[in-house]
Amino acid sequence: MSDRPILIIGGGPAGLEAARGIADIGFKAVLVEKEGILGGTPVHSSYAALTPDFRPAKEAMAEMAAAVTNNPGVDVRLNSTVTAATGSLGNFEVTLNTADQGEEKISVGAAILATGFQHFDPGRETQQYGYYEFDDVITLVDLEKMLSAGNVVRPSNGEPPKRLCFIQCVGSRDRQIGNEYCSKVCCGVAAKESIEVRKLVPECKVFIFYIDMRMYGYWENEIYWPSQEKYNVNYVKGIATEVIKKGDRLLVRGEDTTMGRPMEVPMDIVVLSVGMEPSKGTIEMGNLFGADLNKYKFIETVGGAINTVATTVEGVFACGAATGPADIEDSISSGSAAAMKAIGALRRAVTT
Amino acid sequence: MGLDLSGKQYRKVPYEEKEALLEEVKEDLRFGDYMYGCYDCGICVAACPSARFYDFSPRKIAQSVAREDVDLFYVFLNDSVWDCSQCFSCDRCPRQNSPGGLITLMREVAVKHGLASAQEALEGYGRVVYKIMSTGTQVSPDMLQANAFPDWGPHVKDIAENLDVWRKALPPETLHTTEASWKVDEKTLIELYLIWHATGVMDMIKEVDEGLFMILQDVMEERLEDAGYDVTFD
Repeated sequence: MSDRPILIIGGGPAGLEAARGIADIGFKAVLVEKEGILGGTPVHSSYAALTPDFRPAKEAMAEMAAAVTNNPGVDVRLNSTVTAATGSLGNFEVTLNTADQGEEKISVGAAILATGFQHFDPGRETQQYGYYEFDDVITLVDLEKMLSAGNVVRPSNGEPPKRLCFIQCVGSRDRQIGNEYCSKVCCGVAAKESIEVRKLVPECKVFIFYIDMRMYGYWENEIYWPSQEKYNVNYVKGIATEVIKKGDRLLVRGEDTTMGRPMEVPMDIVVLSVGMEPSKGTIEMGNLFGADLNKYKFIETVGGAINTVATTVEGVFACGAATGPADIEDSISSGSAAAMKAIGALRRAVTT
Repeated sequence: MGLDLSGKQYRKVPYEEKEALLEEVKEDLRFGDYMYGCYDCGICVAACPSARFYDFSPRKIAQSVAREDVDLFYVFLNDSVWDCSQCFSCDRCPRQNSPGGLITLMREVAVKHGLASAQEALEGYGRVVYKIMSTGTQVSPDMLQANAFPDWGPHVKDIAENLDVWRKALPPETLHTTEASWKVDEKTLIELYLIWHATGVMDMIKEVDEGLFMILQDVMEERLEDAGYDVTFD
């Protein structure tokens, strides 16, 4: 059996689960995280509660982190990046660069890329919703921060909003922007945040402008229906074309396709439901290990429906949102799958 | 011409007045069973016979209430709810809403407040309401006149001429009458009058048709007095 550890790059939900899984089975894992804290985007972007179960994100990620930091099978390297990689399945030579400690070369048997995503920047391609122009136009991520602080107010004047809306599919499902895919989580996250806003600011009316609500599986009855039936969130089919300023409020223009008429509605806060794009780390690590990226620059998986973690390089696996939009449940599941596939590949390579 | 959803036609009606009517619908005990949430699937419209003939959409009505869109609700309350045939085909809603039930509640509120549109919609039904409420039975045989329902065909004329004979040919004795669908037991009728009195149905009639109310009042008060009840409708 190989005594070389399996390298995992990225300490978010997928990477944490992969590392824990590998150690649980009795193999060694090296977990490399570029930030000084484990937990990934849910922690670094100050998510308030997880979708769909409303469990505090910090608490859930702390539980996952604790499972690897107190685990003799996992060598956690914080503030570290991978700067070079050579070799093949069974024997990769990898250079780690750790802040204040410099470079170190290690040998690993296989690698798992769990380098995640970044939130779409609504100012990147188009200014149509005025994200950089109007203080009261924010993103799902900005609202998560407000919810974490328990204080949802208009950035422009510090007052609680009376009318707040979400605009779905910002930076997703858009040929012109280049992200043709659905980002999978924004519908659920918007519904979850809408409930949180209604709880925190009960007098605020909340609207969600959408193309289709993609509330697959239990999200339907866990967040979508309750947001309507219990929290009176208004879903209006139709995507806004623009947000303009009117007095000290925002005016959202779109089509109310439900009623078949144009729509112009005043809002105090407009929340852009931004989707997912590959993180810089995903692109860099894919390139470093020679794994192909797909047309959106997520790491390409080659196993189709029956193997969601194999890449174009033998011995290099990818999981979580490094391979495309994924929610936390899927990320953790694919982290487990990657751990299993990496161990399997390594055992076969050593015994044959 | 299609339904005007802009709400312009009711701009002069105070917002608070419209809002109070929406609240009244929502406060009805049945509301929770009729309206959960709507995701615009359109099955109610697809199943709706009225939607084939009128600019009528149970989906839009349900949406206006779900959204608490006061102005839009008021448009539907006036200009749409009377296009419903109350067949409840819309009850196949996957969210288990009852748009038809919601429309029932809206009609009741419209009638209770004597909205002009409700009065107008019910104008043609005065005779039917009179029959039901005075005799306790539905459309009676003597309403079967050749000129009343031309679409019923030419044979109606023959039947109407010898109605009494036709009815006597029917085996059950309770059907040997022409002023009511069947003979209603005196006790049953008294109880019906008392129920309509106690539940406010007579107040609703008064709101939409004062003349009809006065006629019914005479009939009911007299019969109730004969039966030993001291009840007045006013």
